[in-house]
Amino acid sequence: MMESNTEDKYVKPGNQDRGWNDPPQFSYGLQMARGPQRNLLNRRPTPSAATVVGPPPMMPPSTIPLTPPKNDVGPPPLCPARPPGCVVAPPPSSGPVTCQSDNVSSQSESEADVEDVLSVFNKALSACRPSVSGQVCNDVAKRLRLLEESWRAGRLSLPVQRRMKSLALELQSGHWDSADEMHRSLMVDYVTEVSQWMVGVKRLIAETRKLSPELLESLRTSEDQAPAGPEPDESPAEPEPNQNPGEPDQNLAGPDQNPDPES
Amino acid sequence: MATYQEFIQQNEDRDGVRFSWNLWPSSRLEATRLVVPVSCLFTPLKERPDLPPVQYEPVLCSRANCKAVLNPLCQVDFRAKIWACNFCFQRNPFPPSYAGISEVNQPAELMPQFSTIEYIVQRGPPAPLIFLYVVDTCLEEEDLQALKESLQMSLSLLPPNALVGLITFGRMVQVHELSCEGIAKSYVFRGTKELSSKQIQEMLGLTKPAAPGQQGRPMAPQDAAPSCRFLQPVHRVDMNLTDLLGELQRDPWPVPQGKRPLRSTGVALSVAVGLLEGTFPNTGARVMLFIGGPPTQGPGMVVGDELKTPIRSWHDIQKDNARHLKKATKYYEALANRSAVNGHSIDIYACALDQTGLLEMKCLSNLTGGHIVMGDSFNTSLFKQTFQRVFSKDFNGDFRMAFGGVLEVKTSRELKVCGAIGPCVSLNSKGSCVSENEMGTGGTNQWKVCSLNPSTTLGIYFEVVNQHNAPVPQGGRGAIQFVTQYQHSNTQRRIRVTTIARNWADAQSQIQHIESSFDQEAAAVLMARLGVFRAESEEGPDVLRWLDRQLIRLCQKFGQFNKDDPTSFKLSESLSLYPQFMFHLRRSPFLQVFNNSPDESSYYRHHFVRQDLTQSLIMIQPILYSYSFYGPPEPVLLDSSSILPDRILLMDTFFQLVIYHGETIAQWRKAGYQEMAEYENFKQLLQAPLDDAQEILQTRFPMPRYIDTEHGGSQARFLLSKVNPSQTHNNLYAWGQETGAPILTDDVSLQVFMDHLKKLAVSSST
Repeated sequence: MMESNTEDKYVKPGNQDRGWNDPPQFSYGLQMARGPQRNLLNRRPTPSAATVVGPPPMMPPSTIPLTPPKNDVGPPPLCPARPPGCVVAPPPSSGPVTCQSDNVSSQSESEADVEDVLSVFNKALSACRPSVSGQVCNDVAKRLRLLEESWRAGRLSLPVQRRMKSLALELQSGHWDSADEMHRSLMVDYVTEVSQWMVGVKRLIAETRKLSPELLESLRTSEDQAPAGPEPDESPAEPEPNQNPGEPDQNLAGPDQNPDPES
Repeated sequence: MATYQEFIQQNEDRDGVRFSWNLWPSSRLEATRLVVPVSCLFTPLKERPDLPPVQYEPVLCSRANCKAVLNPLCQVDFRAKIWACNFCFQRNPFPPSYAGISEVNQPAELMPQFSTIEYIVQRGPPAPLIFLYVVDTCLEEEDLQALKESLQMSLSLLPPNALVGLITFGRMVQVHELSCEGIAKSYVFRGTKELSSKQIQEMLGLTKPAAPGQQGRPMAPQDAAPSCRFLQPVHRVDMNLTDLLGELQRDPWPVPQGKRPLRSTGVALSVAVGLLEGTFPNTGARVMLFIGGPPTQGPGMVVGDELKTPIRSWHDIQKDNARHLKKATKYYEALANRSAVNGHSIDIYACALDQTGLLEMKCLSNLTGGHIVMGDSFNTSLFKQTFQRVFSKDFNGDFRMAFGGVLEVKTSRELKVCGAIGPCVSLNSKGSCVSENEMGTGGTNQWKVCSLNPSTTLGIYFEVVNQHNAPVPQGGRGAIQFVTQYQHSNTQRRIRVTTIARNWADAQSQIQHIESSFDQEAAAVLMARLGVFRAESEEGPDVLRWLDRQLIRLCQKFGQFNKDDPTSFKLSESLSLYPQFMFHLRRSPFLQVFNNSPDESSYYRHHFVRQDLTQSLIMIQPILYSYSFYGPPEPVLLDSSSILPDRILLMDTFFQLVIYHGETIAQWRKAGYQEMAEYENFKQLLQAPLDDAQEILQTRFPMPRYIDTEHGGSQARFLLSKVNPSQTHNNLYAWGQETGAPILTDDVSLQVFMDHLKKLAVSSST
């Protein structure tokens, strides 16, 4: 799976210049990481019997104490000096969310190197050449050149460079799904920077995935000095088509078999 | 079962169904007297991670006009291997493959926990998903750029084998041929000429010239797939399509001063519909229309190109002064119906500051299950993220979208189907269980839902057949079966079957039981859908009057009171919220057009008649949460008395999320207390509603607008216009007590509304 680092998970403000009350924008990583909703805000208070029957509520409901700072605004209650018996709104256990976009410092300092990244892609492309049509290879090559140009011209932001590096590592280790997921996250989060050439990388991932293992070897040979892949224990090569021998097919048994009443 | 509330929740979770009444009155007359019809909200594809599909065909009742699916309510003779249909009582032998069944070896569909079950069935070759982009190029440069990028991005979200196509339009309409070779070719259509489907297919070279006996007939999907140059698999053309999109230019035709650009939306859509009709009839497909302004020429034109003539307003429509309205509406309705027949759905993504003609075009999406998204610009997070979410995936990694749905409703003999309200069209199937009495889209027990997702919800209305002198015998149960056939996004054909039953009750001796079986939330939404359905065809005031009358009758029926004594009026718990829902519904944009453009009204109503119960109820009566130092966040009354200086409020109206800082909180914030370490708790208090808002933002479709405001802020009006104005400038005496915020309005408050309601309900003259 994708490395879960905070750099991929952020919220940035919407475009208030163009959209009136534009909502904030969530990064791809954040959208994908979303678990089940913590607290559904869909409750309604039962209306005091008064609203439905009886006189109007003139006073606020008695459960609400009067506001502490009366006239001129005093300070908010101090942290340690909470009114006894009152619970401070529990700080919602915020997920791994940072609200600053492009929070750079959190990431490892290692600068992604354009040479390293491109050499992986170019090697993959060479591996594809024998089996993939020349036209497609040339198209991919064209886009890799565009990538290189953008990078060398300094048009790629640091987060993009770093994610490209991770993508290259995943590709090199044969983690196709993960590489593909990274390409998707880059397209969603940085489409302006990457849209022109990313489609070439996408195609490259798809084509290398189809290659036979021998051809793939060339991908891994040179930089074998352990490129700190995130999960080196993951089975490297074959894109196994979900063969979990222990687990039976997801689907229920047919009528003439004995269906599992548990499921 | 402990309480009805638990029963209702369990049924919704398991079967995606919420009934207005969970006990059914045993005669037609008694049903009529209950005011709210026996009806339900049904979510055909409700997400059920715990429900793995079975991989065999459903077993059908052998009676030709029944064909109900074997279900847990059927009586089974395991020894004789015979089952009795619970709808028509036909006795059916089990098919040979069921030879091994016994009491201890039952197929899933007989087990009570499988009242909802899904079958994967084999029906023809698997069909790929199809996405046809129809793109307006009369956009500002910034918008076009953003849209191009979103479209390029979407190619990464589509499954590699999905077919994509591209039509662009401005003054002309261009159908782009997609190929892997470098040469970009396109076919150009004039934007002013109405073309038949056949003409379009001929001009695009889609009809096979030499197929004797089959002249003019569309190609079968199998042979069309490789040959259609306009719809190609993403994995083959993504590189070229990315370039093609990247190179799209704004419409080159000059737009003179004082004119609107000429936008041939009508012809572009008819080309899109014709193209799909000719190549992939009866296969799931999605036309995605992106527009930055109204259609200004050709068939389907909504407004002329003279800027000095503004686009129609409600005022123009009421004065019968909207020149193009009828003709354009008719044109788009015809297109929508053709599209629906073929199972193709049409989305509209309209991003502009002014109206774009959604009023005329809404049927394209409403009849085909397509989305409508309305934003200010394509370069907004609202559009970009909403568009991304169209392609969101479920827990299995499959798209949350299904195609070509056909929903059939079967009832036991004591019930008939009156109609459905939702994103569907009638299939005109007039079976024996179809009522003469139409509610919504009626006269059928089958509807087509061309595109649906896990939240798509239909309102379905029934009537009781039995006459008063021959009521349904006590002790029995009525049954309803929902059979939904659809194309799953993984291209499988599937059938989901939900079978439910409810007890019959004698409305005279058991009225209290019936009353406690009332689901007021479902009832409010179901009545609201009826109201909105009427509002689309009738005048607003009539609809309000109708709703009021229903409410008064319901209160007369179930309220406890002494005649002519309003103070004695009481409603039981199961109806306690209902009047409040109606109060807010009356004020809602679904029934009030004041302050909304015709496009906005169409937009709001579009979403209202398709969302599930929870979301619909949020639209009727927004949710308000209060954050303070006095305890954890709590839901509070949608009432001006909830607006207090030391609270932060979070309001969710579905279309908007509003965070409102009370006066004191706002001053504290301005003074910067949140920056000081010793006021960490204040910082947390400020953060809490933001975090909760984010949760909602991350799941809501479409993205809502997001408003962060405070006491005295101009945008506080979003909150002030929604709360019940219990304090207004008219009852100033409440001031000074810090009981909330008075609202400057002459609208009646819930209190006044309730007072009138009680008076009318207890009056002996009504």
